[in-house]
Amino acid sequence: MKRSIAIAGPLLAVLLLPGSGGAQDGRGAAPAGRGGAPASYPPYVRPASTYVPPRTADGQPDISGLYVAIPLPRGIETPLVPMAGRGPNRANSEFSYSLNERPKLPEGAIARPVGVDPPDGKIPLTPEALARRKEIIAKQEKIEYLDGRVLCLAPGVPRTTIAAPVVGYQIFQKPGYVVIFYEQNHLYRTIPLDGRPPLDPNIRKAMGVSRGHWEGNVLVVEVTNFTNNLSNNWVIGAVSATPGVPAESLTTGHGIPHSDQYRVTERYTPIDANTIHYEARIDDPKVFTQPWTIAYYAFARAPKNYVPVEYACFEGNDKNLLLMTNTDVTGVRVAVP
Amino acid sequence: MKPIATIGAAALLAALAGGMAAAVAQAQRGAAPPRPAAATAATYTGPRTPDRKPDLNGIWQVLGTAHWNIEAHSASEGVPAGFGVVEGGTIPYQPSALAKRNENFKNRLTADPLRKCYMPGVPRAMYLPFPFEITQAANHILIAYEFAHATRTIFLDGTPHMEDLDFWMGDARGKWEGDTLVVDTVSLGDKTWFDEAGNFHSDALKVVERFTPIDAAHVAYEATIDDAKVFTRPWKMSMIAYRRLEKNLELLDYECAEHVYEKLFKKPGSTP
Repeated sequence: MKRSIAIAGPLLAVLLLPGSGGAQDGRGAAPAGRGGAPASYPPYVRPASTYVPPRTADGQPDISGLYVAIPLPRGIETPLVPMAGRGPNRANSEFSYSLNERPKLPEGAIARPVGVDPPDGKIPLTPEALARRKEIIAKQEKIEYLDGRVLCLAPGVPRTTIAAPVVGYQIFQKPGYVVIFYEQNHLYRTIPLDGRPPLDPNIRKAMGVSRGHWEGNVLVVEVTNFTNNLSNNWVIGAVSATPGVPAESLTTGHGIPHSDQYRVTERYTPIDANTIHYEARIDDPKVFTQPWTIAYYAFARAPKNYVPVEYACFEGNDKNLLLMTNTDVTGVRVAVP
Repeated sequence: MKPIATIGAAALLAALAGGMAAAVAQAQRGAAPPRPAAATAATYTGPRTPDRKPDLNGIWQVLGTAHWNIEAHSASEGVPAGFGVVEGGTIPYQPSALAKRNENFKNRLTADPLRKCYMPGVPRAMYLPFPFEITQAANHILIAYEFAHATRTIFLDGTPHMEDLDFWMGDARGKWEGDTLVVDTVSLGDKTWFDEAGNFHSDALKVVERFTPIDAAHVAYEATIDDAKVFTRPWKMSMIAYRRLEKNLELLDYECAEHVYEKLFKKPGSTP
């Protein structure tokens, strides 16, 4: 009998949600903020790339190919409280990587949390958003507060670029477009480069509406029109939040739903033939006191033997939701036109 | 058709109406509609990619009613009538499988895997009432579907099918035969249906699709269905895929899973 991998998503959730390790790796030279002192890292500087990619038939810098996620060396946020006792970052050591060598940071890259601006590495939440975050973290084992990624919802942008249990990315280019197929939950984005106008604000998409252009060899994408019908769709998040850690001390980015004004500016910078650096400026005046930025080495060219496979998340997730939240979704049916 | 005087539960009524539609469809079988002639390699004069293959990049959609019923059927509540897309008119079910199909039909409002927001499988994904987008490279063809953001990656690089895994959208390996893209899909499992009318398959299903471009805006699409556990012989469905030509068109969302949770969270007292 054939195996099915449809339970990959639920399995992940079961493994990670109850009391999983925090996001701090504990290794490396950067300060870890032990003893109560806030961690600090050198100011973020955009990597200067001298690499000139080949060109596609229509003259785009050619970054197409199959990539895997480079594990985050730290979490999302810089911790403000002691991190002693936190285990390794499990989200970055599971699943696909077990079959393949985990790609390493490029030479000279600093192991740091990906939140680089503001320089203190904290997500600049409004007081209301912080209160909301506390509520979500406190109640996260109720389905209404559960992480949307565990519900198998599309995680949006930039969260889909945070290393997930399956880590493959297929980047393709056709005249006038960059197309990204994410192995995670079979998500995709088609990014038009033709300068077309934004969509009507009444049209919302879980992965947002993307408008891209090339600045030299850097792909810049404006993403707007995100859905906000469910507050389970969070801006970002690495592994699941650790129970008992107050919302102010999280390093995972969890528990922050966005508003209808959420927008993201992404920059994909090819560093060499094998590596793409990623930066995302995140703005939502209803949630953040100022725009903030994450940046990290995100994509490494996949090993030759890497094969992306279907990650069926929602299919079969009902047992997982029952187990985790005591909610039975098996009877729910949706109209299809 | 005799009108139903008593209005019962909506689902029951719909089931009854559907049952009558099936009876009508049964009576209409045998008169297969004429098929549009598929283009040959010699006739295609549309755009080509740099490697001289027909350029399929873009957004496409199959029109018609195959999503509701791939066999010929009259209209029923919420279901437009249709000629059917099965060549020869009738699916050659083995007797026990036909009984299973009829059972599926009765239970379709709850049993159709699409209503649980599962991925539609192949070939059903191709003729849902939603557009799909093709991205074409030399060694891969990607298809993104608007429904439930289902995807397929069709490998044209000569690699063999994988073993020991099932996929909702199958394992697709393709090649060009002249100007026709031929895609061989296996490992589809047994959980998807061909349509809302309960037409189904087993895990022995093999699908061979042929995409033959007629011109820049039309592709003749055929799918040969081979499943020795369910049918008495291989059979074929055929239809036309139309290029969507609206300016600045892009795929939108039918995030089916979101609608499951929206329904769930609307229960009294459960909204955060």
